[in-house]
Amino acid sequence: MVIVQTQRFDVADLAGRLQARSAGKAGACVHFVGTVRDYSPQAGSRSLFLEHYPGMCEREIQSLCEQATRRWNILDTLVVHRVGELPLGDPIVFVGVASVHRGDAFRACEFLIDALKTRAPFWKRETLSDGQAFWVRQHQDDARKAAQWNDPAATPPSPARAPDTH
Amino acid sequence: MANGTATIEVLYFARIAEDLGLRHETRPLAAPVQAGEWLAELARQHPALESAQGLKIAINQEYAGPTSLIRPGDEVALFEPVTGG
Repeated sequence: MVIVQTQRFDVADLAGRLQARSAGKAGACVHFVGTVRDYSPQAGSRSLFLEHYPGMCEREIQSLCEQATRRWNILDTLVVHRVGELPLGDPIVFVGVASVHRGDAFRACEFLIDALKTRAPFWKRETLSDGQAFWVRQHQDDARKAAQWNDPAATPPSPARAPDTH
Repeated sequence: MANGTATIEVLYFARIAEDLGLRHETRPLAAPVQAGEWLAELARQHPALESAQGLKIAINQEYAGPTSLIRPGDEVALFEPVTGG
């Protein structure tokens, strides 16, 4: 299940939902929570705004969940991503995976957050305490982590090849 | 992709939307064109696109490449690398 919402979510509630949906079948539930941090080293952060591409976000994340299901022996996935204005410290994203054994759940969960960060169309705009605002740049490290999952033996079906501007 | 449609819907997001001062426009497209070719033409009309870094293109909400075809009636989105999660 994939949900994009503006409202704050309760981590324990989502973890409980994931567990309840696979109760009796799953031997492991793993979840990752991403939170709003300070993205600028120079000045303190005031808030974060998350813009998204409605429709494509849900499609991309759903497609990543399907890839994870084909690749690992998992029973269920639950991904919730927030958009709009978010205060420092708030949760941004929840990625939960239920599986029979923990190894598959750990690996699928890490794959999902790594792939989400480089494929799902969300963009962070940070506003600093002095009023300046800027769009956060994608980290090279994020791209490298996501690329590490592209093992030729289990390549996702539609790798993106983005054009340059010229 | 309704018959007789000779336009496409173009969506801009985040920094690109801000630089262009535009989030959405309907543009004429009479026949299928490769995304790279179309983008080069668009950048001539919107010079702000030249400063975009690692520009991504999506056609009908799926990532596309320079040789992907854009057809009349399509929804085309342009954006810089994503930063969610």
